[in-house]
Parts: sequence; structure tokens; C-alpha cells
Amino acid sequence: MGQRLNRDWMTMTEPMLAEYFPILVFLGIAGAIALAMVGGSLLLARQKPYPEKLSAYECGFEPFDDTRRRFDVRFYLVAILFIIFDLEVAFLFPWAVALGQIGWFGFLSMMGFLTVLTFGFVYEWRKGALDWE
Amino acid sequence: MYVGAIFFPLLGATISGFLGRWIGDRAAQWSTVVCMALAAACGILAFIETVMGNGATTVRIATWMNVGGLEVAWALRYDTIAAVMVMMVTFVSTLIHLYSVGYMSHDATIPRFFAYLSLFTFMMLMLVTADNLAQLFFGWEGVGLASYLLIGYWYEKESANAAAMKAFIVNRVGDLFFMLGIALTFHVFGSIEFDVIFAAVPQHLDTAFLGVPALELVAVLLFLGACGKSAQIGLHTWLPDAMEGPTPVSALIHAATMVTAGVFLVCRMSPIFEYAPTALAIVTFVGATTAFFAATIGCVQNDIKRVIAYSTCSQLGYMFFAAGVGAYQVAMFHLFTHAFFKALLFLGAGSVIHAMSDEQDIRRMGGIWRKIPVTYGVMWVGSLALAGIPFFAGYYSKDAILEAAFAAHSAVGMYAFVCGMAAAVLTAFYSWRLLILTFHGAPRADHHTMEHVHESPAVMLLPLLVLAAGAIGAGWLFYPSFIGAGEHAFWAGSIHNAEHNHVLHDMHEVPAWVPIAPAVAGAVGILTAYVMYMFAPAVPAMLATRLRGLYLFLLNKWYFDELYDRILVRPTLATARVFWKTGDARIIDGMPNGAAALVAEASRGAVRLQTGRVANYAFTMIIGLVIFVSLFLTGLAR
Amino acid sequence: MNWTLALPEIALACAGLVILLVGVIPGRNTFFGCTMAVIGALLLAAVLVLGQPEGTALGGLYVADAFSGFMKILALLGAALGLVLALDFNRRESLDRFEFPVLALFATTGMMVMVSANDLMAVYMGLELLSLPLYVIAAFDRDNGRSAEAGLKYFVLGALASGLLLYGVSLVYGFAGTTNFDRLADVFSGNGGVPAGVVVGLVFVVAGLIFKVSAVPFHMWTPDVYEGAPTPVTAFFAAAPKVAAVALLARVLLGPFGDLAAQWQQVIILASLGSMLLGAFAAVGQRNIKRLMAYSSIGHVGYALMGLAVVSDEGLRGLAIYMLIYMLMNIGTFAILVGMRRRGRAVERIEDLAGLGGTDLGRALWMTVFMFSMAGIPPLAGFFGKLYVFLAAVQGGFWTLAVVGVLTSVVSAYYYLRIVKVMFFDEAPAEGGLDATTPGLAAVTATTGIFNLVFCLYPAPLLLAAGLAAAALLG
Repeated sequence: MGQRLNRDWMTMTEPMLAEYFPILVFLGIAGAIALAMVGGSLLLARQKPYPEKLSAYECGFEPFDDTRRRFDVRFYLVAILFIIFDLEVAFLFPWAVALGQIGWFGFLSMMGFLTVLTFGFVYEWRKGALDWE
Repeated sequence: MYVGAIFFPLLGATISGFLGRWIGDRAAQWSTVVCMALAAACGILAFIETVMGNGATTVRIATWMNVGGLEVAWALRYDTIAAVMVMMVTFVSTLIHLYSVGYMSHDATIPRFFAYLSLFTFMMLMLVTADNLAQLFFGWEGVGLASYLLIGYWYEKESANAAAMKAFIVNRVGDLFFMLGIALTFHVFGSIEFDVIFAAVPQHLDTAFLGVPALELVAVLLFLGACGKSAQIGLHTWLPDAMEGPTPVSALIHAATMVTAGVFLVCRMSPIFEYAPTALAIVTFVGATTAFFAATIGCVQNDIKRVIAYSTCSQLGYMFFAAGVGAYQVAMFHLFTHAFFKALLFLGAGSVIHAMSDEQDIRRMGGIWRKIPVTYGVMWVGSLALAGIPFFAGYYSKDAILEAAFAAHSAVGMYAFVCGMAAAVLTAFYSWRLLILTFHGAPRADHHTMEHVHESPAVMLLPLLVLAAGAIGAGWLFYPSFIGAGEHAFWAGSIHNAEHNHVLHDMHEVPAWVPIAPAVAGAVGILTAYVMYMFAPAVPAMLATRLRGLYLFLLNKWYFDELYDRILVRPTLATARVFWKTGDARIIDGMPNGAAALVAEASRGAVRLQTGRVANYAFTMIIGLVIFVSLFLTGLAR
Repeated sequence: MNWTLALPEIALACAGLVILLVGVIPGRNTFFGCTMAVIGALLLAAVLVLGQPEGTALGGLYVADAFSGFMKILALLGAALGLVLALDFNRRESLDRFEFPVLALFATTGMMVMVSANDLMAVYMGLELLSLPLYVIAAFDRDNGRSAEAGLKYFVLGALASGLLLYGVSLVYGFAGTTNFDRLADVFSGNGGVPAGVVVGLVFVVAGLIFKVSAVPFHMWTPDVYEGAPTPVTAFFAAAPKVAAVALLARVLLGPFGDLAAQWQQVIILASLGSMLLGAFAAVGQRNIKRLMAYSSIGHVGYALMGLAVVSDEGLRGLAIYMLIYMLMNIGTFAILVGMRRRGRAVERIEDLAGLGGTDLGRALWMTVFMFSMAGIPPLAGFFGKLYVFLAAVQGGFWTLAVVGVLTSVVSAYYYLRIVKVMFFDEAPAEGGLDATTPGLAAVTATTGIFNLVFCLYPAPLLLAAGLAAAALLG
């Protein structure tokens, strides 16, 4: 039934925008859940605020401060390394979905990509980039 | 083999020149000697191959330049004339390298000397095997360079430096004409490759350039170039001074090989010269005059090497007028035999100088013939060959030259014949004057020097003996093939005789007294020398005082150097001074100094832009981008 | 899939990965071994390039032809020689970390992708693959403030240039509907007018590329980066990437945008004139020899661009020959600069060369050869490089370019010859002459020096190769 409704709606609007409709739905649901969680906590939980609890939490240091403060460069290292593997995952999802159609060539291409990343991973491991101390 | 003959000397020069410091003197000098020996072996084999085997070949090595219509290759052209030269050059050069091992043994920079000597040989070989005028010119300048380096080898001597510069500058005068000749050849024929030029000569018989027949002009220009290298009258002044170099150098460069390059050039270009009668007449005239003129000077010089140097000059004159009357084969033959006996004389003189503790003035020699018998003997052989005494090498070639001049049946031919006869008498005279003053009579050197007189070591005597054998035998051995019955088959077209040229035939049919005359002239000269210096030593001094004017005229070499000094050198210096003081110092320097100040100012401005701030840099980039976009859009609008 | 056409790049990339692992796994210093392995990989790639067939591959992204072959060989040669220069220097300056050769290798791979790019996307790929390692090695001496500054400046300005390029690419794509060179050429060859958007896009692309060749007005980074970066890095910068960037510029302008030549010609002429003038004038007052070489390289790029500006076979051939000669004389010069040390410390002022003619005649003579060659004095190779581009400019009727070129080369002769003068006529400083050079540097010096000397004797094969390369691009 949902599909039919969708198709009716599509006939009325431009076809391109129609394709983004599920995202709109998704946004709506996400907003609703977020509201429900915050609102539920406000309604149900016991409120006992104090300054430490009210301050924002960001990677362990003050968000509002003098910008020329020194901080540990390792935060950035971690962030950059994270981005690499985050992108890797971003590539993996569409690949996984389309694996059936792209066949062995597609499979091997991704394996090649992963191998390259693995080389980088071994390098950073050996270099000690993953050790905090 | 063909390539080896040419490039072994270069290899030797490279080893000795660049590695000499590391491998030591002995290794350096022997490596050049060995390379030269290999080259000589290749040269002789190549000669046999070319003359008796396959005939002429051309070995292409690489394309040198290809600019517009001008295409020039590195190539070795092996025909008979080149093969003869290669054989002669490598052979004589090997002997002289060997001789130098002994002669230069006390020198401080032996590898340098041998590197130069080998480099010279390579350049000479490049010259003779060239298959186009550009490569020939490369070799031509190369030998000039090597000659400069070797004349000035003892560069701490001021006179050696002056002589080296003189040789170089006088040669440049000739080279200027040579270059003009090459340019004109290219203009007329559209190519500077010999094959192309020679094939095209018949089509250009009537071509004119500036109203003058082009072939005549080319021939005259090339001949003027040859004059510089071969020290013909007018451009001869450098050759006697070149004796400042070590004696082996004089023997190799200033007697046997380089100075004959001019003769070689004329013979090589015979297809052009054959159709340039006026040019040939000029060649004959200049050659004959030089032959006589140099011989007269030779009679009064006192430096042993200078006497031989003037003799060389005179003999080159013979070669030129032989070529001038159309007998190129005879010229080449004399060139070939001359190389042996003149190298022999020079090396003999070197041996004498060596024995006399570096004394070169024959007035301070004498009475040494018993102490250095081998040198004495070979000097005799060389002198006999030079004077044209029968059955020595010079006899065959010089006789043939005079016969050819006589057989030419032309006015210049007769002039050449007369000059040649007179020069023959003088040649014999000064040769024996030299022999007698050097070896006979009472010793005129001081006691100390006389005690040290000694025969040279074997390494020097061996080349002398080999050359002596050549001076005796080269004449009758090669006579048949060079100019005798086998002449036509031997040269195989590498020398061109036009159809109207019968000189080679006519020279065998001259009146009976003509072939005998040179020998008689030689004998007369020898007798005169004996009378004047052996039996009546007072006569020369008396003659010198009686004919003081003539004596001084000859002693000062016809005042050529003074003349040049007066009309060329001094006015040039004076003009140069004017240009320097006003033109250069005021005007020319003024402009660049102003320009330099401007540059410095601009530089400061440009540097000020470079602030070091990234923001400024980025701003510049954006400005540039804006300019670019506007440029593009205006371009689009058009 | 004819991906085998890209075998040199693939092999090089794989070699880079393997060397990275091999270098990091042992506990000890693997700098020397890795450098040798990288040089080997570069030579292997050169062999593969020589044996490469011609054609288009990878869905039209990649092209291999005589032009790419010629330029790749140049880039590989330049990179390999540059690494030889770094061997000894890095050890003495405690920069002997194995990442150096590996980064150079990745940069070289980027150069090869650039040279072979047949699509704007491939151009960007190659350019970034080249740039990122270069940012890092510019700052390789990370404890040295100037080196760090050089790296940061290069990175910031490079990012800006990359941004411009990418923006231009997107504009071109937006208006033309494709990024493939062949199809772009089809679009522009139609007789319909060219939309202004494409033109603006093209300018942005050209700006991004001109930044890499460091021509005016995108040259500002060059002196600071050349001076700040460690000397072998500067040598590397001045040689291989420049060849690749010039090649890419030529390919982009003459390939897809060949029919717009009338428009971009003005820009290239302007860049060429500006570079020649700036290179000549700004170098005059320099005291630091690396900074001087930076201006000198700007000037040389100006001459090379002259060959591109005339848009002819001769011009392009002149460009190819110029890059070859430029690269070899530059490497030779830097081989001497890298070896400039006094009592174990690296020095880089011009006065530090004083008296070299007396203390180390051989080195001074080679330096003289390079300086004369740079100044374009016959019969050295540098003269012929200039000769061919000038000839092309004159034949094409671009008199302004030729005249300015000759004038600026006279001005630049001044500062090249000043170095010769300093070496031979100035007194050596009191603290003594320069330290002896090392065999590796001496070998590089001698090889490139001999090339400069003997090029005039037998230029035919190189001219032929350059001619083929030019013909391949102009079709």
C-alpha cells in the first residue's frame, strides 16, 4: 500500500525530488526519536544539575577557551586515522550491495583497495601511531 | 680497421691526457705509443685493402648536424689519397712518439706532451679522411689547436707563447678564406659533401658569383686557406717561429704532416681545381715563388731547426707548383717522400741538439761527427734525399715535379721550372752548409759541452734508422704506382685529371737534359757548400761583408716580419688603442654600466615583492588569476 | 581491459607499498636499502616505459604515446638522480629515514599518472598524488624551522592551487558535460561558440597547473620553499615534478583545449614573459645559492613555456629538449650544491664557494660547465635548449618572446658567471675550503657534466625522440 501511495505522490511532483522522499521520511523519524529520548528523559528522570554536568564534553578539553592553547597532537592522529577507515567503510557498503552484479573483477578491485589500506595500517602500527603512550 | 686507424690515437690521447696523473708518466707515454702502433698497423692494412683490395669505401659513423638544407655526417672516406695519407701519418707519428719517449725523458709533464701529440694525430686523420668540408674543417682547426698547444708546450718560455700565438693567428687568416670557400661551395653546390660536389662540377662550369666564375673563386679561396696551413709566401711567417716547440713536434707537425694539409686539400679538391685554370696559375706562381724565396733564406740562417724549417717551406712550394701545373699525383708523391726525409732531418737535428746540451746555433757546433756517428749518417741520408741526389727518395719526386713544370708548356710552368732549379741548387747548398758546420771543422762549442756529446739512446736511434730506410727506399719503391705506369690504377679516380690535362703523360717526354738537371743542380750546390765552408772558410764572411745589403735582406727573411709589423700590427694596435680609450671605455662601458645599474634596481624591486607572507603570496595568485581570466575573455571577445 | 598499458605506474605503486613494508618492519635503519630499492624500482619503471605499447586504457582515463614516454623517462631519470643526491646528505643531516625515498617514489608515480592523464579526473588524481608527498618532504627536516615553514607554505598555497584546479575542472564539466580529453576536444572543435564558463574553467585549470611549474604569477612559493627545504629535496623539486607539470600543461592545453589555442596563447605568453623577466632580474641580488637556483628555475620555465606558447611542432620539440637539458644541468648543479659543506656543516651562501678553484679544481670546473650551460653559452647543452625554443619562436613570428628571451638570458648570464668568478677569483674564507665531495655526488656531477659537454657532438637521437614526442601530441 505504501508503494502505491508513493507512486501516486510521484505523479504529482517532479520525479527527481520524489526519489529523495524516503530521506525526508527518514529525517522525520530520526527527529521524532531524538525528541522522544530527550523529552522522555526530561519527563521521567530525576533532574539534579551541577556545573560539571552542564558543561559540554568534547574530546576531553574545554570547548570555549583561548584558541592558542596547546593540546595533544595525538587527538588529530587518531582523527585522521579514523577518517581513513571511515571512508573505507563508506566504500564497502555500496560494494557489498552491488557485489552480485560486479562479479570477480569487482571483488578483486575491492580486495586490492583493502590491501593498499592494510599496507598503510601495518605501517602506522609499526610506527607506533596506534599506541597512546 | 678503418675506424681503428683513426680512433686509436684519440684513445691514446684520452688515456694519457685524463688518466696520466694516476697511471704515471711511463704508463701514459707507452699507452700512447702502443695506441699509435695499433693505428699504424690499421693504417697500413687499410692502405693495402683500399689500394689492392676492395677499392674506395666510406664508413659512416653518425649524423653530425642536420640544419636546414645542410646535412653533415661524421664519416671516414677511404680512397687512395686518404689511405696514403693515413698510412703516412700513422706511420711517421708512431716513429715520432717512439722517438719522443727518449727525447722528452727529462720533461716534467710527459703525459701532457703525449696526449697533445696523439690528439694532433687524431685530428690530422680526421682531416684526411673527411668526406665533407665541414669534417675536414673540424680536423683542420683541430690540428691548428694541437699545433698551438705543442708550440707553446713550454709555456713558461715567453718566446714559445709568442710563437704559438703567432702560428694560431696567422693560421686564422688562412682559415678565414677557407671558411669563405666552404660557404661559397655550399652556396654554389648546395652541399659540402665531396661526392655531391664532385659530381656536380660539370654543371657549374659557367656559374658565376659576383661576376667571377664561381669555381675559380672557390678554388682561390680554398688555396688561400691552404696557404695559411702550408706556410706559403705571405703567410709563412709562423713556421720558422714554430720551432720553439719541442723538436719531435717540429718533425711531426711542421714537417711531415700538418703543413702538408694544404697540399692535400688542393689534391683532394682536384675536381674543382681542374676547371679553374686561373686559380691553378696562382697556385703555381705562389708555390714556385715560395720554393725559391724560402731556399734563399735557408742559406743564411744559423739556427739548425730554422734552416730545416725554411727548407720545409721551400719543399711545400714545390708540392704546390706541382699541383698547380696539374700533376697532383706528383705533388702527393713528393708529400709522401718528403715526410720521410724531412722527419728524418728534424729528428736528426733533435738528436744533435740532445747531444749538444740543447744548443741550436750551428755556429757553436762543429767537429762532432766522430762522436755521434749514427746521427751523422742519417743526417747525410736525409740531406741526400732532400737535395735530390739520384736513387734517394727525394730524387724521384723532385725530378718528377720539375719535369712536370717543364712539361706544362706554359709561362707559369716555365717560371716554376726556373725557380725550382734555382731552389734545387740552394737546397743542396744550405743542406751541406748545415752538415759541414754542424759536424765538421774545429769544435766551436765550449769545452764543457763537448765533453758531454754523446750518441742518443736506442729508442731515439731506432726511429731515425727506420726513417732513413724510408728516405732511401720510399722513392723507387712507390715511384711506379704513384706516378709511373700503375698511376691510373693506383689512384682509382681519387684524384681527378681533366681531359685537357696531359701533364702526367708529357712529363715522361721532356728533352733528355731535363731529368738530369736537378741532380746536376744538387751536385753544384753541394760542391759550392764544400768550397765555401770546408776548404775556404773565409769566403762566406767575405761575401757577407761585400754583399752586406743582400746578406741582411736574407738574414732578416726578406723583412716580412718587419713589414707585417709596420703595416698590420702597429696600425691595428694604434686603432685598437683608440677604440679602447674612447669607444670601449666611454661608450661601450657606459651603456652596460648603466644597464647594470638598471638591472640591480629592477632586482631590488622584484625581491621586495617576495615578502615571505603566505597571505601575500595567495593574494598574488588571485590577482594573477583575475588578469588571466580577463585576458581570456578579451581573447574570446575578439 | 588493456590495463597493461599502465604497467609502469602499477609496478611503481606496488613497489612503493612493498618497500614501505620492508622498510618499516626491521627494527634498524633501512634508509640506504630503501633508497637503493626505490632507485631500482624507478629504473624498472623506465624499462617498462620503454617497452610500453601505445594506446588508451582504463576507459579512456589513461593514454600512452611517444610524448608520455619521453616525459616519463625524463621524470624517472630526474627522480632517480635526485635520490642519489639525497643518499649522503640525509645521513649527515640525520634525515636518513626510509620514508624519504618512498615518498619520492609515490610522487614519481603521481608524475607518471599526470603525464599519461587523458581525463581531467586523472589529472587531478596524478597531481594530488604528486603534491601530497612533496608537501611532506619539503618539511622533512621537521626540527628545522625553515624546513617546516617551507612545507607549510607549500601546502597552503598548493591547496589553494589544487582548489582552483578542481573548481576549474567542475566548471568545464558543467559546461561541456564531460571530463574526457578526447570528447572535450570534440566538443570544442564544433564551430559553435565556446561558453564563457568553459573559458573561466580553463583559466582555473591552467592556473592550478602553472602553480606546479612555478611560472609567474604563481611562482611566489618557489624561492621560500627552495631555500627552506633540505638541499636534495630542492634538487628533486627542481627536476622531476617540473618536467611532469610542464608535460601535463602541454597535454591539457594542446589536447582537449587545442582548438582554443587563440585564447590561452595570450596567457602562456604572459606567463612566459613574466617568468623570464622575474627569473633574470630577481636572481641578481640573491646571496643564498638555493634561492638563486629558485629564481633561475623560474626563468628556465619561462623559456620552456615559450616553446608551448608558439603552438607548433618545432616549439613543442624545443620544449621537450629544453626540459631534458634543463633537468640534467639542474641535477648537476645541485649535485655540487648538496656537497657544499665546511667542516661537516652544510653551507649555502654564494660566498661559501669562494676559492673553490684553488682548493678543488675539478669540482669548480664542473660547476663552471653547469653555470655556462645554464647561461646558454655554446657549445654546451644549455645553449641548444635555448636555441631550439628561440628558433621556434622566431619561426612562429613571436618576436617579443624571442627578443625578451635573449635579453633576459644576457641578464641571467651575469649571475651565473658571478658564481664562476667567485669560485676562481675570490679568496677562500679564513675557515678553509669546502669539504671533499663524496663518490656518489661526484659520479652524478660527472655524468651530467659530460652530457652537457658532449650534447653538441651528437644531438641527433635526442632531437629525434623529442620530435616524435612533439608529433605524438600535436597529431
